[in-house]
Amino acid sequence: MRKGSFLLTSLIIAGSLLLSACSNGNNASPSASSNETASTASNSGGSASPSASSQTGALAPIQASDLSKLPQLAQSRTDTIIVGLTDPSGAFTPYFQQSGYDGNVSSLLYTPLVTQDEQGLPASGLAESWEVSADQLTYTYHLRKDLKFSDGTPLTADDVAFTWTLLYDKGYDGDSLITSIGIKGGQAYKEGKAKTVEGIKVIDPQTISVTLESPKATALLVLGSDVLSKAYYGKDYKFGQLDYIKKLHEKPVGTGPYKLEKFIPGQEVRFVANEYFFKDKPKTEHFIYKTSEGDTWQYLETGEVDYASFSATQENIDKLKGLGFVNIVPYTPSNYGYLQVNLEHDALKDKQVRQAIAYGLDRQSIYVDANQGAGQVANIPAPPISWSYTEEGINPYKYDPEKAKQLLDEAGWKEGADGIREKDGKKLSIHYLGSKNAQTDILIAMATENFKALGIDFQPEVFADFNALVSKVEGGDYDLASFSTPLLSDPADGVVQFVDGELKGYDNAQVKELYDKALSTTDIEQRKKYYAELYKVLNDELPIIFTNYRKTVYAYNGRIDNLVVNPFIGISQNVNNWALK
Amino acid sequence: MSSYLVKRLSYIIIILFAASLLIFCLYAFTPGDFISGNIKLSPERKAELREIYGLNKPVLERYGIWLKNAFQGDFGFSLAQQRPVLKLFNEYIWNSFLLAVVSTFFTWLIAVIIGVIAAYKQYSWFDSLIMVFIFAAMSIPSFFIGLLLIKICAVDLKWLPPGGMTTTGSNATGFAYIQEVVRHMTLPVIVMTLLGLGSLTRYFRSNMIDVIQQDYIRTARAKGTKERKVLFTHALRNALLPAITLVGFELPGLFGGSLIIEKIFNWPGIGQLYMSSFATRDYPLLMGFTMFIAILTVIGTLLSDLLYSLADPRVKL
Repeated sequence: MRKGSFLLTSLIIAGSLLLSACSNGNNASPSASSNETASTASNSGGSASPSASSQTGALAPIQASDLSKLPQLAQSRTDTIIVGLTDPSGAFTPYFQQSGYDGNVSSLLYTPLVTQDEQGLPASGLAESWEVSADQLTYTYHLRKDLKFSDGTPLTADDVAFTWTLLYDKGYDGDSLITSIGIKGGQAYKEGKAKTVEGIKVIDPQTISVTLESPKATALLVLGSDVLSKAYYGKDYKFGQLDYIKKLHEKPVGTGPYKLEKFIPGQEVRFVANEYFFKDKPKTEHFIYKTSEGDTWQYLETGEVDYASFSATQENIDKLKGLGFVNIVPYTPSNYGYLQVNLEHDALKDKQVRQAIAYGLDRQSIYVDANQGAGQVANIPAPPISWSYTEEGINPYKYDPEKAKQLLDEAGWKEGADGIREKDGKKLSIHYLGSKNAQTDILIAMATENFKALGIDFQPEVFADFNALVSKVEGGDYDLASFSTPLLSDPADGVVQFVDGELKGYDNAQVKELYDKALSTTDIEQRKKYYAELYKVLNDELPIIFTNYRKTVYAYNGRIDNLVVNPFIGISQNVNNWALK
Repeated sequence: MSSYLVKRLSYIIIILFAASLLIFCLYAFTPGDFISGNIKLSPERKAELREIYGLNKPVLERYGIWLKNAFQGDFGFSLAQQRPVLKLFNEYIWNSFLLAVVSTFFTWLIAVIIGVIAAYKQYSWFDSLIMVFIFAAMSIPSFFIGLLLIKICAVDLKWLPPGGMTTTGSNATGFAYIQEVVRHMTLPVIVMTLLGLGSLTRYFRSNMIDVIQQDYIRTARAKGTKERKVLFTHALRNALLPAITLVGFELPGLFGGSLIIEKIFNWPGIGQLYMSSFATRDYPLLMGFTMFIAILTVIGTLLSDLLYSLADPRVKL
């Protein structure tokens, strides 16, 4: 009895407190990507009233109006910046963590070889420069001089080689993409047939090259990731035995702007400036990630945290403005939301039916207006902040129920006696799956109307548990399912699902060819062209129905100077410049 | 007595075996596994990882492996947290215990006092008022009271911190640390006490009403014993007897953590950890924790049976 009410109330809580327009994205958090944004995006119950808000994307940064309102608590902090983070768990070794929140922590502790600029283009990190061979197979990284780990030991190409080799160990159970990049000789090493990975060559202490089996343009960034110290993490390494690394998770030795001072489980992660950081030592000596489940409003209001991010609804922005002491900056996460379509079902195999759904679903109202402007309609598998984003030749699928009806008629679905369309005696019915959150509630309410108008029978089903939803989708028992991609660093990440067999029933030679072509060169202009073409194909075919981009804002204590957040990397790239006035 | 104990203990072992098998299967058959939630992985890598974690083996074989390790005291590593399950328990359970033990103490104390007075003054204005208040406290959802208190006491009046267990970044030790924790736990303890108060007060009140009407109470009064003594020595002791059963049931609750309270007040307890590990299907942690609660439950019932026989000579084991 007690347990029962416990569960029920917990569901109510989950539903009422933690809703956010990005719930799918949140659920994607068990990915150890170090590019997860450092924030607990929370949307305090997006109201379903389709208020007419005009501002989309054009929101300009807002400066704090009255710093005297800054809470005493924040005022008295002179050498510490506190940021909320949902739930770091203590696995702070990159590549070996399962939670994206640990990724946020390690992104401050480690600097990658190659990082990304505001458009997601490669930028220099620990590596000063790099070259790609003419055949696009060999990548050579030139490290900066005098790099040091946070324990003062020098960082050389040997450490880089060690890091890559470690990930090809057969006992490696993390989700790093390096394992699938295909380093020459990697498979042989994994199977124990070779003592080293053939493709990895240390040329001199500052230079390392790696040869791939086949060209892959994402390799530059994927390989150009964090470096583990061979002396520290490799001391006890024996092939096939990686359990010892778990003991080092809480004592990381890195290369980032900060080093770990103390981890208090469930409460905070404390950092102190790393004097060996290759760029300027952080201007603020201490940094703390405070564990904060759910709502962060009360912590920002009382000054317990200096930085938090929120869904960009008008209500949230007004409330933040009202606080007076925070600077507000708009921010678009680098991912997109979509409806996965069951391409193994007869009706949805037909392109015209999928297009009819895109036309017939009022995405503007569902994702933008109902969220008070905190969204944008998506039509291609790339976020608007990406260098590959384009609207040229892209069909916007503007809400047009008449066009949708016409397409359904053409596809042979004729209205039956009860108003539901049918073909060959079968009714057109859509079984929809969504995670339990405010956005799904809005979608179901609006889509029920939209589909009714089209003559489609709409059967929504809502899941409180993300894994259960995924497993139902994998089992094929659905027609449409709401998802959102994890944060994407390279345009290839956004389209890989169309070629790797993840989307059952979709197999398009042209898409595969364009995907490979776009990855066979590192020339950005070339790649842009291929992606533009690829997006056009996908936008027409709609193997999935693109729905939306999220819009968020981050708000921070007006005393912090030089705060910049990179949408691809998060806060780690610039955090060493954050200074308290 | 000893033969009774042997019998009970052997039952306990059988129950725990059955429970562990049932729980294991329940978790294993819940749709989705630890790997499926990670949408970043390609289908091949997913298969590879399932192989490494042994998730592609038959459920009974997985259960066998888990059982064998558990007997050797090895509850494994949490998949999501990458740390030993027992170490995680040790880090989080005591925080939950602290909240639970303090709020349970206050709940019982207040419930006994109010229950006795309400029973003594049955149908008085005090009784009715208390009952209305208690029903109200019981029926308002905890998260609502919690958020309301945060809004009033923390955000607006700034009397108490809005959440957490210590002030962020604080290096307080010794007495200053204790003071800090007490300040942080005030709000959650108030909410938890309010929640538990209702049912317990009603329980004591009705027990007390039963006892007060017994003949021996009338006799005691007739002898001229002081009313206070009649109430608290003669009546209360007997009224408390059935509550011993409740004590046993409280045991798992002391360590189980409270999801909602911990979430609202950002308390670093085991309830939050358990819920997030369920969302990610972190099997070793789920199994470890559920078995821990199962063991506490069984021990709790045994304990209350034994206590009952000690307190009430009429009960023979």
